[in-house]
Amino acid sequence: MALRTLTTIGRKISEWNLLKITTVFATNTRNLKQVTQSETADGTLVIAGTYVPSDRASNLVTVKLDHEGPCSACYMCKLNLDVKHTDVLILSQFLRTDGCMLPRRITGLCKRQQKRIGTMVTMAQKAGLMSNINPSWSHKDPRKRYRYKKWNSYWDETTIKC
Amino acid sequence: MSATKRVQQWSTFSRMWYLYDAQWQDPFHSAKVLSPYLTGQNKPIYHPLNDCGDHVVVINSQEIALRGDEWKKRVYFHHTGYPRGASWTLAWELHQKDPKMIMRKAVFKAITSNLVRRTCIERLHIYPGSEIPEEIKSNLSGQIRPVMPVPKRLQEYSKEEIENYPKVFDFPNDYILR
Repeated sequence: MALRTLTTIGRKISEWNLLKITTVFATNTRNLKQVTQSETADGTLVIAGTYVPSDRASNLVTVKLDHEGPCSACYMCKLNLDVKHTDVLILSQFLRTDGCMLPRRITGLCKRQQKRIGTMVTMAQKAGLMSNINPSWSHKDPRKRYRYKKWNSYWDETTIKC
Repeated sequence: MSATKRVQQWSTFSRMWYLYDAQWQDPFHSAKVLSPYLTGQNKPIYHPLNDCGDHVVVINSQEIALRGDEWKKRVYFHHTGYPRGASWTLAWELHQKDPKMIMRKAVFKAITSNLVRRTCIERLHIYPGSEIPEEIKSNLSGQIRPVMPVPKRLQEYSKEEIENYPKVFDFPNDYILR
């Protein structure tokens, strides 16, 4: 089995330690890469790449053909959900751990849905509903923000232009 | 009056005390709902000269939610009557100075402009937090349903709820987790 190589990180490293893959991938299994750094006893920096199974695979929703929405450009259009900016459990799936929205080539959404969900994520963040998925320098508690950002706000999803 | 009839008389003409939680509610939508209770227009015995308005106790007025960037853009005008006495205060500035004012002004505007308006607004009791004085707490006899649904923050969900929630999107193959 051919070894998978990681993208090089521009720094001096002593060893590369990649796990050899012995099993054959099935089409449905998603294997995410997790890059870990560790220091061994004699001071060498080890950057390892491990394959981690995706923990979302068991809960993934697929819509049946007869329940599909009118537009079938992407999976969100097919699901035909009325997503509000307060549906934090759905919106947080599209975010990185520091609160940034994932790009379209990763999410696989159509342009319209990407923009729509991106706007709703901004609305939820401004309302202070997802303050645990924030960059390290931001205020986790909305009450600690300055001026007008301190107080609660809600948004109207019909104003999203897409 | 007979014994049963006078109880019916008391219950028809008594003044009710309602509780309203303004947490995450729009004050202008809430005012539209609260003003009929204050004027007495929710009662079949209503007449403008009847003075049948109820009391409304609003709690958590500090937690009201305004739409979009209204905290930044909405302006409250005041003129003292003297020359150069005009002032324009932004909504967030007013809320910082007195968290009860925005709710009070919204309800005042929602009640029809007539001579009973001042009496009705006297029967509106607003508190910025959830603490209410004992005299008013003992009077409370009903509750008004909130106008907007209260959103739940992501921190308030338990880890199991987040994990077991149906997922719409899974990462592509060979994606590096960040």
